[in-house]
Amino acid sequence: MKKYISLILVLIMAFSLCACTSNAPEETATPEVTEAPASVDLEILVEQDDSMINTYSLLAVNDKASFVDADGNAVNDVELNTAGADALINWLLSDEGKRLAADYGYAEYGEFLFYMLENAPASEGVIPNATEETKTVRLSTTTSVNDSGLLGYLLPIFQKEYGYEVEVFSAGTGKAIANAKMGNADVILVHAKAQEEAFVEEGFARVIEGMDAERLSYMYNFFVLCGPAADPAGVKSAEDVLAAFKLIADGGYTFVSRGDGSGTHTKELALWPAELGITAEQESFADYTEWYVSSNAGMGVCLTMANEQGAYILSDKATFLTFCANDGVLPEA
Amino acid sequence: MIFTGLHKTYNGRRVLDVDSLELQKGRIYAVVGANGSGKSTLARLCAGVIKADGGYVKSDVHIGYLPQKSYAFRMSTRRNLRINGSDREREEHLLRELKINGLASARANKLSGGETARMALARLLMREYELLILDEPGSAMDIEATLLSEKLITDYRDRTGCAVLIVTHSLAQAQRMSDEVIFLSGGVIAEQGSPEAIIGSPQNEKTREFIEFYSK
Amino acid sequence: MSTALQKAVEFIFSGSALLKDIIGVTLRMSLASSLAALLIGVPLGIILGSGSFPGKRILIVLNRTLMGLPPVVCGLLCYLMFCGVGPLRHLKLLYTVKGMVIAQIILITPIVVGMMEPFISSVYPSMRETARGLGISRRRTLGLVINESRYQIISTYLMALSRALAEVGAVSMVGGAIAYKTNVMTTAIMNFTNMGNFTTALALGIILLAISLAVNIVVSLMQGGADR
Repeated sequence: MKKYISLILVLIMAFSLCACTSNAPEETATPEVTEAPASVDLEILVEQDDSMINTYSLLAVNDKASFVDADGNAVNDVELNTAGADALINWLLSDEGKRLAADYGYAEYGEFLFYMLENAPASEGVIPNATEETKTVRLSTTTSVNDSGLLGYLLPIFQKEYGYEVEVFSAGTGKAIANAKMGNADVILVHAKAQEEAFVEEGFARVIEGMDAERLSYMYNFFVLCGPAADPAGVKSAEDVLAAFKLIADGGYTFVSRGDGSGTHTKELALWPAELGITAEQESFADYTEWYVSSNAGMGVCLTMANEQGAYILSDKATFLTFCANDGVLPEA
Repeated sequence: MIFTGLHKTYNGRRVLDVDSLELQKGRIYAVVGANGSGKSTLARLCAGVIKADGGYVKSDVHIGYLPQKSYAFRMSTRRNLRINGSDREREEHLLRELKINGLASARANKLSGGETARMALARLLMREYELLILDEPGSAMDIEATLLSEKLITDYRDRTGCAVLIVTHSLAQAQRMSDEVIFLSGGVIAEQGSPEAIIGSPQNEKTREFIEFYSK
Repeated sequence: MSTALQKAVEFIFSGSALLKDIIGVTLRMSLASSLAALLIGVPLGIILGSGSFPGKRILIVLNRTLMGLPPVVCGLLCYLMFCGVGPLRHLKLLYTVKGMVIAQIILITPIVVGMMEPFISSVYPSMRETARGLGISRRRTLGLVINESRYQIISTYLMALSRALAEVGAVSMVGGAIAYKTNVMTTAIMNFTNMGNFTTALALGIILLAISLAVNIVVSLMQGGADR
């Protein structure tokens, strides 16, 4: 029996060692030697620029769309919950839904995270209570609305009021749209105009009753260009964001790109000087790998990476603010 | 009881080539021979645990067979015996006779080689068979255990009147126990007869060599 | 300042609904899939280990190949089968625990077979000869084989369970990590990491590690019991 007890002890010791070492970087990085680069070094350098507006659109997925399977064969009987999708969209576009979204974040961050478009479509449609068939609504969306906590704030209110259950699949816009094209979503909430228009063009979206377009752009916030407080490229004094990106590229300052087909990634691609020819294709930035880091990861991971490398990064403002607030719970730097 | 078609070929090498073997009830037969002479193959074919070249050797006799290496199930020695019968009295008797009553509740898969061999013999003798085929029952046992097991086997024969076919390396054991010796060489029966005749005055060249070598 | 370990402990005792749900879904999925894999894999392992039939070696090679099936490949295949345009779309398995369990069964069953087969092959010939020699029926022999394998079955099961607990590639693709529905420990760790919330991710990791530790202590005690 002694053997087992000692075995268990060894395991527990190994286990606590693991737990300790995983803490260690945070603790040992903190001593007064230097200002640890861990949390606060990133700040917003360029914002509120017209080309940095980040518009979010709702699209109802068309159950009559010409879906195809992975081999390209047509699939006619994709089952979608159109009634549930209508209810969710109508609620998000109702006065209540918009007011809640517009207010979100102010209490926590002292700043509004999302703004309503002035010409946002308004819904006065009656929202029916959920039935057994229409109960589950699948929403495919981008990480920014999910990770900023907006959906976690809005959806429970909607669900409680009308009895629906909204299943949120969150990924970059590219993947969120691809997911809908595979017939796995009833509604999408994304932020990449070109991709949304292509989605409509291909017939994957439908017009819901009382609306006059498939693509329902209704709220926005801003992308922000962030970087080390020292700002080695001097983007703070740039004329506009396009000039700022040019400064980064010309100086070869490290820039972390999402590289995942997300809305943020799509936006970033449009901001580089055209002559660089940076696109979503990996070959297009093969010559810039010295400073252009294509990470193919979520916003949080990229922000952390940028933070550690003292790099520039494009983020949506909501996620960036949440990220900073989140960093506040880490050990003091 | 007659066994026929005892032929076995492994990888093109004929290891046993015996057309028929006749055994009589109440007699103990010792199968003797050098390594590779086909002793174990003969035992296993008769017991029906391996196929002969022409299929399983059929027999309508109730046979009990003790393999060279018996499996000890992961349970107590006593429960190993009970796999093969539930007669408590017999169980106690066998454990006592083989002097393994002290190990009755020990885990059988932790027994030593000799202890396992004794347990396996006791387990086999829990039931009554018309023919016992024993493949080197004494090979792992010390001399005391060997003698105890021989007595037990002889008693079993006397009590049930069964036939016994015992494969052995030991001429001494053959002499002590058997009524008839079957000498195997190169897969064929070279000589068969009473122990006195075979061991005392072997007729066959191979038998003589083996016995002379053994008695040195 | 709270470290991840403290956070993990706080998290456990806070009775957080989110954590409860994640652990609940994790256990439901892992227990169901490991049990199903065991029920399928053990008989297959016994058949493969004890039988002699043509094609046996091919089946063993095939099984070893499946043991090496990358979870993401399994996840991708299941995703393509279950998704809205996939051939099995009417079963509505995408983003459900059931779908995750199926993906896990595909991943774990070969491991169960792969752990049972060598064990059975190593003990069966001798066991069979002994049982035949005693004149024990085939059916009773099978019973003895199963009884003899009980420790192996238990440790195989716990191995399957810890694999199910630790799996992330397949379940994130098939389950979609939907909060309060298909989000398990591993996918939640990924989500929190993606959000830059390393402390919570680490806290979940510590809890997962603790569950794994408990499972492994049980395994070693079982094996200890088997050696006694």
